[in-house]
Amino acid sequence: MNLSNLIVYVVDDDAAMRESTASLLASRGYQVQLFDSGETFLAQADIRRCGVVILDRHMGPAALTGDQVFDKLKRQASPLVVLFLSGHGNIAVAVDVTKRGAFNWLEKTLTGADQLLEATAAALVQAASIGDMQQARQKAAKLWDTLTPREMEVAREMRHGTRTKLIARKLVCGARAVETHRLRIRDKLNVGNPAELDRFMRDNDL
Amino acid sequence: MLNPTAGPSGAPVPTSARLSLTWIVVLLAMVLLVAWAGQWSARRESAFQADALRRSIDVYALGLRGEAAKFVYLPFTVAQHPDVIAALASPGDTAMRQRANRYLEDVNRRAGSDALYVLDTRGNTLIASNWNQPLTFVGQNYGNRPYFIDAVSGGSGHFYGIGRTTGEPGLFLSAPLRSGTSIVGVVAVKVSLLEIQQTWGKVRDPVMLADARGIFFLGSVPSWMYQSTRAVDATERARIAQHATYGPRDNFPVLPWDVERTEAEPGYLLATKVDGIARRFMALDESLPNLGWTLTVMADYGPVTAARNRTWTVGALIAGLLLLGTMYWRLRERRYAEQRVARQELELRVEDRTRELGQAHSFRKAMEDSLLVGMRARDLKGKILYVNPAFCEMTGYRADELVGKSPPYIYWHPDDLKKHRRESDAVLAGNAAPTGFESRLRHRDGHDVYTMVYTAPLIDHNGEHSGWMSSVVDISEQKMAELRQRKDSEKLQHMQRLASLGELAATLAHELGQPLMALNNFAGAAKANASQGRLALLAGNLDDVAAQAKRAGDIVRSTQVWARPHLRGAESCDLNDIVTSVLAMVGAEIRHHQVRVSTRLDLAQPCVSGVRILLEQVLVNLVLNSLQAMQVVAVELRELEISTDRQDDTVRISVADRGPGVASDVMARVFDPYFTTKPEGTGLGLNICRRIVVENHQGALEFENRPDGGAVFVLVLKSAQ
Repeated sequence: MNLSNLIVYVVDDDAAMRESTASLLASRGYQVQLFDSGETFLAQADIRRCGVVILDRHMGPAALTGDQVFDKLKRQASPLVVLFLSGHGNIAVAVDVTKRGAFNWLEKTLTGADQLLEATAAALVQAASIGDMQQARQKAAKLWDTLTPREMEVAREMRHGTRTKLIARKLVCGARAVETHRLRIRDKLNVGNPAELDRFMRDNDL
Repeated sequence: MLNPTAGPSGAPVPTSARLSLTWIVVLLAMVLLVAWAGQWSARRESAFQADALRRSIDVYALGLRGEAAKFVYLPFTVAQHPDVIAALASPGDTAMRQRANRYLEDVNRRAGSDALYVLDTRGNTLIASNWNQPLTFVGQNYGNRPYFIDAVSGGSGHFYGIGRTTGEPGLFLSAPLRSGTSIVGVVAVKVSLLEIQQTWGKVRDPVMLADARGIFFLGSVPSWMYQSTRAVDATERARIAQHATYGPRDNFPVLPWDVERTEAEPGYLLATKVDGIARRFMALDESLPNLGWTLTVMADYGPVTAARNRTWTVGALIAGLLLLGTMYWRLRERRYAEQRVARQELELRVEDRTRELGQAHSFRKAMEDSLLVGMRARDLKGKILYVNPAFCEMTGYRADELVGKSPPYIYWHPDDLKKHRRESDAVLAGNAAPTGFESRLRHRDGHDVYTMVYTAPLIDHNGEHSGWMSSVVDISEQKMAELRQRKDSEKLQHMQRLASLGELAATLAHELGQPLMALNNFAGAAKANASQGRLALLAGNLDDVAAQAKRAGDIVRSTQVWARPHLRGAESCDLNDIVTSVLAMVGAEIRHHQVRVSTRLDLAQPCVSGVRILLEQVLVNLVLNSLQAMQVVAVELRELEISTDRQDDTVRISVADRGPGVASDVMARVFDPYFTTKPEGTGLGLNICRRIVVENHQGALEFENRPDGGAVFVLVLKSAQ
């Protein structure tokens, strides 16, 4: 996927932080969108699309914190890659946010412009691969949808290497019919054997 | 003590009932004894009387027999006399008869008999001793008389009766007069028994003689004469009349005797009336077989009754005396027993009391010895009466060195003598403070002892105020600790300041992080723009860089207050300035806690004289506390109000928050050292604040809960103007 198509969102309540980050990224040719709070970001940004969010963890009183914004993204299964910025922190906080699926965690006082750029670039690569995977999955899902319901049943049995006779007994039909389904599944999904079918289904969450 | 109402069997016997039963038995026994004694004495007396009666009856019987026996041979003797026989043989011979008469007269006179006379076989009196007397027997026929009948038939006769001629009673004795073998006549002699009767009459007690039919014919009681002890039937009466025994009398009434016989006794009792007086006699009968009579001798029964009565009286008296004696004895015994019991109880009580006293004494001693508080008792003039071991320990002097001493005492601190004297006088005057006073003592070995002295009046057992009791508590430790604490205070304040600094450092880092990173970013952008020749953008970036550098500088400047190395002395401080600089210091923290701040500052620039850094420290502490307090409430409610104002000669800084306020159960302990409600608090913050305010600035630190929620802490300081 082309990195230049990806957008970098900057969410920070501090105007200087927002502006400086935007200037830095723009000077490197990235597409940047700025938001002064988590609320406006969630309301206006397209969180279904792949991209990178540079998210400040503390954003003024009575506003959503970075953590809360991150939780909302997770809940909506957004493909966005999250890069946390924090005024100060410690190892425990870092481990916590990373465990919960954040891509990286940067401490403002210790982070130079180069480090920010590096981290952003790495995040963009990650975002691009997520984008690719998203596209592959969409393709696989289309292939999968070409199967008839009966073929889906047979495929779900097949991926575990179950023999034709057993599948026939389980689904209460003839062994010959199962054999036919197996052939059609192989043709439609373009998988050679049960192992390949299993990988296909696992990769694409089917 | 045994319970007298409950026996061992457990069956209760009422004392009075048992006692009265005993008494009844004893009384009964006594009555019986007395009665028996009376009876015994009566029997004894009656036995004496019976003996006396027997003796006297023997005498009387002897007398009677003697009287009869004296004359019983007289008729036989006379019958032998030739003159008498001759006169009887020839009744016509007057001279012969006269000789015989004279002979009989002579014999009669010499024998002392009443009359002596001779009868022919037909009963006609031929010869008599009283031939020449008017009432002569001569010529009289006594053929019907038993003595004649007995004698003429060959026996000897004796008969008592009343003389037909003389009318006088007498004993008639007779013997046959024989001529050869044939009986030709009868000789009779009449003996008068009146002399005997007279002799009897002289005796006080009755003596009676009864014939075979029970008729008394001789005796000392005239009224009983010719009366019978038993009924005389008609045959006998006829015979009596035939024999003319008792003259013309033919009626012999039964005597009105009440006779009482006992089997064992020979005698008997009789009750009757003599001369109209009721009398009781003891009587004894003695039969005289030769004569066919019965002699009855009596004795007055009065002495027996009297003896019995006497015995009874004496017995009753003795019994009464015994009874009285017993009662007296019992009373005395009871009194003795009561006294003994009382004495024993007294002894027991004394023993108990002694033991109790001993126990109380040892208890008190143990208590006093174990007391860590010194006790000192003094009389009204201040002389020491008593000190306990703790007091001796405290002062280093022995009890005997202290007791009896008057002020000034040796343990008074030489530097405080005036104070000691004043306080001692106050105590002795009864003006001692009830809360006690502090007193510095000098131990024997020279070190100072700080004490608290509490005094209470000493009331003796009569309720009189006899002196003063003081308890002396050694507070040297606390005093030393206080001194040490005061010395440590500044160090502690410094440490607290460092702690606050550490707390702020994290926020400061965060706060500085923003401009520094922005600075970095702008620099990075500038670099890129410069290399690509975008000069307009580059200039903008550089402006931004300058702005961020200034921002970082401002933040750093606000922390300079912490860098001040030493406390300076008191200076004039504007509270408004202090508020402003403190808000700058904790700005980051305020933002971090997402709290809105509003200030209301007194326009008149309230000034105090104080150590600025300490006042700032107090305010920082109060603000940080408020921020932390508001963490538990919703973000939109978090509001901090800081105001300064002036009241009279004081100026005040109020820090009000919207937190949960101070819980009522911790209000009293808010300023206590090491008291905290925060999980990681040291409990020293407010304690130090208060000490800074109170000790360094002579001010006050107060707090209260706001009516609409939250707490307000007020720093009250004396105005510098």
